[in-house]
Amino acid sequence: MSITENTFKRGINKGAKTIVYIGKVLIPVYFLVTFLKYTPIMRYIADFFKPIMHIVGLPGEAAVPFVMGNMINLYAAIGALSALELTAKEITIISVMLCFSHSLFLETAICKKVGVSAWMIIVLRQTLAILSGIILNIII
Amino acid sequence: MSIIAILKEALLGSLSSMWTVVKIVVPLMIAIEIIKDLNMLEKIANFLKPLTRFLGTSKYSIIPLLSGLFFGLLYGAGIIIDSVNEGNMKKREVNLVIIFLASCHAIFEDTLLFTEIGANGWLILFSRLFAAFLVTFLASKTKYFKDDNVNMIEVKNETGAK
Repeated sequence: MSITENTFKRGINKGAKTIVYIGKVLIPVYFLVTFLKYTPIMRYIADFFKPIMHIVGLPGEAAVPFVMGNMINLYAAIGALSALELTAKEITIISVMLCFSHSLFLETAICKKVGVSAWMIIVLRQTLAILSGIILNIII
Repeated sequence: MSIIAILKEALLGSLSSMWTVVKIVVPLMIAIEIIKDLNMLEKIANFLKPLTRFLGTSKYSIIPLLSGLFFGLLYGAGIIIDSVNEGNMKKREVNLVIIFLASCHAIFEDTLLFTEIGANGWLILFSRLFAAFLVTFLASKTKYFKDDNVNMIEVKNETGAK
């Protein structure tokens, strides 16, 4: 096989479809988090998660993109992250944590489909996320 | 802050985030199609075969591993199902490959997206690859993943239905 016009057509087609999909997730999440920021609700969320997030060197409100990333997907997490103001170090820490653990419903289902234990995968990914957060908070 | 100002912030902010994503996803999708059409995975696979010894897997694991690493978990799992149906991959190996891919997949897309919003991309890439190799290596040494023992969850035949 070789590269033809079709290669590019397929790529652009898939890109366009993906963009529509991402927009449907990212834009509502961005709106939600922007509104939350200006309500007391964000303060409650931040205060509630502060002790846990402190372990990985993140402010309490970073729990919002982390939860969104795990429950929905990385595009939701990116929408939520962009709406918040975090430092470069904080963004790197939460990005690594999210890369280890995201889209848990969908991706665990995929693992289960090929016969791998769902619990093992969830525990593995959460452990990697938390450990990486703790280690990165110390070294950077 | 007035509701209009908040709406404006949300609208402009979300559109600018979308642009960030578009800039990465569209060229990446084209790049992926080029990689597929040039059969580049097979070429890279030959080169990387020695790595599978470290992971405790056979040569059949390399294409599923690379597909998942480059194109995502879903794509990698699809290739795994094909390999299982062709009788090339056993339960033990499927578990090891999935352990690797659950820890690290879609490395181009994820890394570029987070780099674009201000994260250190090299640190993301290195952390994920390091963790995936370490965890898979350790898993391959445990009794549970040593060989195809009966306690392992069956790879169901129904997974063949695509």
